[in-house]
Amino acid sequence: MKKKKIMVIDDEPFISMMIEDKFKDNFQVLSIRDSTLALDAIKKEKPDLIILDWMMPRVSGLDILKSIKAEPELKEIPVFMLTAKGQEDDELAGLKYGAERYITKPFSPRELLELVIERLGRS
Amino acid sequence: MKGLEEANSLKRDLELTIKALSESYEELSLLYSMTSELLGLDPDDISMRVLLLAERIFGYKKSAILFLDKAKNLYPKAWRGELNPEDLLKDKTLIFKAIKDKKTRAFCKLLNGGGEEVSILISPIIGKSSEIGALIVLESPPKEFFANEIKLINTLTSQAGLFIENSILYSEFETLLTGSINCLIKALEASSPWTAGHTERVVHYAMAIGREMGLPRDELERLKIASLLHDIGKIGVPEYLLNKPGKLDEEESLIIKGHTQKAEEILLPLKHCSNIIEEIKYHHERWDGQGFFGLRGEEIPLIARIIAVADAFDAMTTDRPYRKRLSFEDAVEEIERSSGAQFDPEIVKAFLRWFSRQHQASLF
Repeated sequence: MKKKKIMVIDDEPFISMMIEDKFKDNFQVLSIRDSTLALDAIKKEKPDLIILDWMMPRVSGLDILKSIKAEPELKEIPVFMLTAKGQEDDELAGLKYGAERYITKPFSPRELLELVIERLGRS
Repeated sequence: MKGLEEANSLKRDLELTIKALSESYEELSLLYSMTSELLGLDPDDISMRVLLLAERIFGYKKSAILFLDKAKNLYPKAWRGELNPEDLLKDKTLIFKAIKDKKTRAFCKLLNGGGEEVSILISPIIGKSSEIGALIVLESPPKEFFANEIKLINTLTSQAGLFIENSILYSEFETLLTGSINCLIKALEASSPWTAGHTERVVHYAMAIGREMGLPRDELERLKIASLLHDIGKIGVPEYLLNKPGKLDEEESLIIKGHTQKAEEILLPLKHCSNIIEEIKYHHERWDGQGFFGLRGEEIPLIARIIAVADAFDAMTTDRPYRKRLSFEDAVEEIERSSGAQFDPEIVKAFLRWFSRQHQASLF
């Protein structure tokens, strides 16, 4: 069976490399470091799930989330938001704009993998 | 070719580095969630949270935490999944050894009582100065526990040990504190036998009101200590003045004020009580501002306003040298009448709700 596609949008190289390493046995992982390219990449690749960092220069995670939810053909893609500790207000905003989950950094990579498997099934 | 080899070797190094960093990141995340999830809990809750954390991160389905009692016997404190914690106690040698060595141990393919193969992980829970117990994980069918997993479990149990130890020390300290306070109260009440039990009842009523009002746990704790100590200033004040019916003259009034003032002097050296001094000092204030110090409404601390109702209710419903006690119903009516004058109306409402529920319960 073809592996499901996860897109990681985070400007911190370590975070996306770590997720790639943790997920590579179960999923195909695409990393986007430059958030200005994110929306085009999503349109092109149509990933099965998006892991999206909140705090990014230029285009923020929330901006991308809003754009995803505004596109009829993208809005069903589940989005997990990553954000720094103590931003409870962001959690509310993120959930309001349709993020399915909100994960606080530092997060547990194992737990994140479990959550994604729970959502998409093991491929 | 050399360039390619070098590139491949660099790639391998990078992968290893990412793996190592990833484990450190995992550990960091574990420490973060532990601090925020375990702080201020009691040992039972800490144990359950630790099992839930382990389940969330490692996917463990069967786990338990065993504690050592004072006689160094193991007993189950919390467990998850289909396992009978008593079964774990059948062979305690491995568990005791892990605790003694202060080392997490994993055993693969052990046979359990039913002849089934299982893997078992034992991680001792140890505080700074005491052995607390151990976390046990069972895997059947058996699986291997990896080195980095064991390292993380170690982080989990060593932090849990400190949290549990702190929590035990704190509750011992609280027991000591309430014990000392009770001693003070007994000494106070011994001098006037007819008020014996007054403090205990005021605590009971005040706590009932506090719970009815939905006060948070730490406020209830303050309410408890403040109501326990509310009459401590009576030491050295003539009893006949405190309960004198009718108006007091100016001199008598000053002496009475002295009783709440004295509480402040007595409690000041007790650091733990410094946050209830105002509450005790102002428990004779009136909502309408006609009390000893002239504070009115919400200028009077909430806890003092609660104690005022509880104190008055008990004073009315017990015999005094100068009058017979009122019935509960009459006293409640009297409290209701004084709502908005002597007492805070919201507190009177909570008191009435509690009382009518008690009253109904006693009818059936």
